[in-house]
Amino acid sequence: MNKNASGKAWGKGHWLLASVTLLLLLGVALLLGASSAQALDENNCLSCHGTPGLTKTNGNGDVISLFVDEKKVNTAAHRYIDCTTCHTAEPHKVETALTKLSLAQKCGSCHEYQYRLHLDSVHGRQLVYGNSDVATCVDCHSSDGSPHSVIRVLEYAAPAYKKNIAQTCARCHGDEGLMASYGIVDKVYESYMRSFHGKAMQLGAYEISQLDKATCANCHGYHDIKPASDPASPVAGLENLAATCEQCHTGAGVKFASGFLGHREASTDNVPVAYYTEIFFSSFLVIVIGFGALIVLLAIVRYSLNRWRE
Amino acid sequence: MATLVRTVTLKKQAEDQIARFDIHQRIQHGMMMISFIFLVLTGFPLKFSSAGISQWWVALWGGIEATRAVHYAAAWVMVASCLYHGGYLLYTVLVLKRPFPIRIFPTPRDARDFFLEIMYFTGLRKEGPHFDRFSWREKFDYWAIFWGIPIMAGSGFILMFPVAATNIFPGWIVPVALIAHSDEAMLALTWIFMVHIFFTHLAPGIFPLNKSMFTGKVSRERYIREHPLEYERMVSVRRPEPEPEAEPVPEFPAPPVTPGPEEEKETE
Repeated sequence: MNKNASGKAWGKGHWLLASVTLLLLLGVALLLGASSAQALDENNCLSCHGTPGLTKTNGNGDVISLFVDEKKVNTAAHRYIDCTTCHTAEPHKVETALTKLSLAQKCGSCHEYQYRLHLDSVHGRQLVYGNSDVATCVDCHSSDGSPHSVIRVLEYAAPAYKKNIAQTCARCHGDEGLMASYGIVDKVYESYMRSFHGKAMQLGAYEISQLDKATCANCHGYHDIKPASDPASPVAGLENLAATCEQCHTGAGVKFASGFLGHREASTDNVPVAYYTEIFFSSFLVIVIGFGALIVLLAIVRYSLNRWRE
Repeated sequence: MATLVRTVTLKKQAEDQIARFDIHQRIQHGMMMISFIFLVLTGFPLKFSSAGISQWWVALWGGIEATRAVHYAAAWVMVASCLYHGGYLLYTVLVLKRPFPIRIFPTPRDARDFFLEIMYFTGLRKEGPHFDRFSWREKFDYWAIFWGIPIMAGSGFILMFPVAATNIFPGWIVPVALIAHSDEAMLALTWIFMVHIFFTHLAPGIFPLNKSMFTGKVSRERYIREHPLEYERMVSVRRPEPEPEAEPVPEFPAPPVTPGPEEEKETE
């Protein structure tokens, strides 16, 4: 114990100064040294596969990219699962062709429940037949279709985050040509965005508490999504539809559900009364506003002329 | 009966002011104006939801739930102003036994005034029509609300309580209400900003701001110009001796011409 510190070369003041400086330096070092999380890469796969442009040519002569974007994999949901968990212990010996189905199967080796639901969905049933048009895991969970970019659903940038779901579905369901080949002619995305649900979803903030409005999946289902023509679909028939509405609109019945225009515009054979209301109000609007614009315009001309002649 | 009130302005110049609107009418107009502005501010982004500015604007209010809450609150204020208006009318007529405000009703003369005004605007006449207490434009604005409020409030309440509405009406009432609400709102907004604002605030002799709906008073000079027929009647029926005990009777909106006392009040 030294009670006479002031006599020493290193007084209390000096110690304090030194500690503060050290802390500051440590802070700066931490800031400089801080980087985003590193994906787990036990076998150093990224030392080769992290090189952009790395490709191979398979037996069919197709050039296949072997590049894995380190930036994306570092923020991916599975960043702490080693490459070989999915790519097997000897990844270079894999000979099976990569298909949408094999990709889904791979996800399903852990996410079994979702995979089984998916296989029984309108998308999954087609997947089994080798149809590559249909959506599978990565089409909705990855922003670029790569399994290395799958991020958690509750991240704002996730394609399956509630605010983004409609846009994600619209990647395919907004493609008129693709939809027409399956006989889907309704402009589902446009009609959703016209509805109050879509507008509120678009105007709302990203906080999940602000997103308590229905989006595609709330009515049609998620992994087990069924076509509206399937009696098991939550939107098949007024009874099912009413039960689906009722999940949010307490007390909603068949009458309430019957007011839904479907994903179509009102027309002479789709809620005609709404169609005629639309015609009435838009004509009325044009006539009255036209009349108002005319008298204002005439008045402006008259008043200007009066002023000019003064 | 309109009351002549002589007031002293801040510049200490004596200026003749004529009372045109009583305090209740001013409050009713104020409630309607303020609620209208808030309804537009919080409703318009929904109509143009895909515009980036709408998303920015809603975020500024604190999200869609905030604009929705304000929209609901403003809707109740607007409905309250209408109930106030109707209730006040009944009160003045039934309890205070004032004459029914017949002058606000459209007459063939308004059609004539309309054509005269169009002729004046287009240069077919040298002079515009002379108006009584309410011009055809003022009547149009007033009665437009009798069409607009039932449409807007009716459809608005259906959208506010869609499940309850479909318990009473068929299901199509909800999409129909949405169309009506959206289109009628555009109509009201355009009319107010294009026609109402132009003729009541921007027209020559009034620009930049017409304060009469807020102060209740109109200058004598402007009254003579804008409502000459009513002014003549006011002056002609005025007694030479004002009755000191008589209270200035506010009008709602205007009693028919009855030869009666016309008060003149001096305020210094």
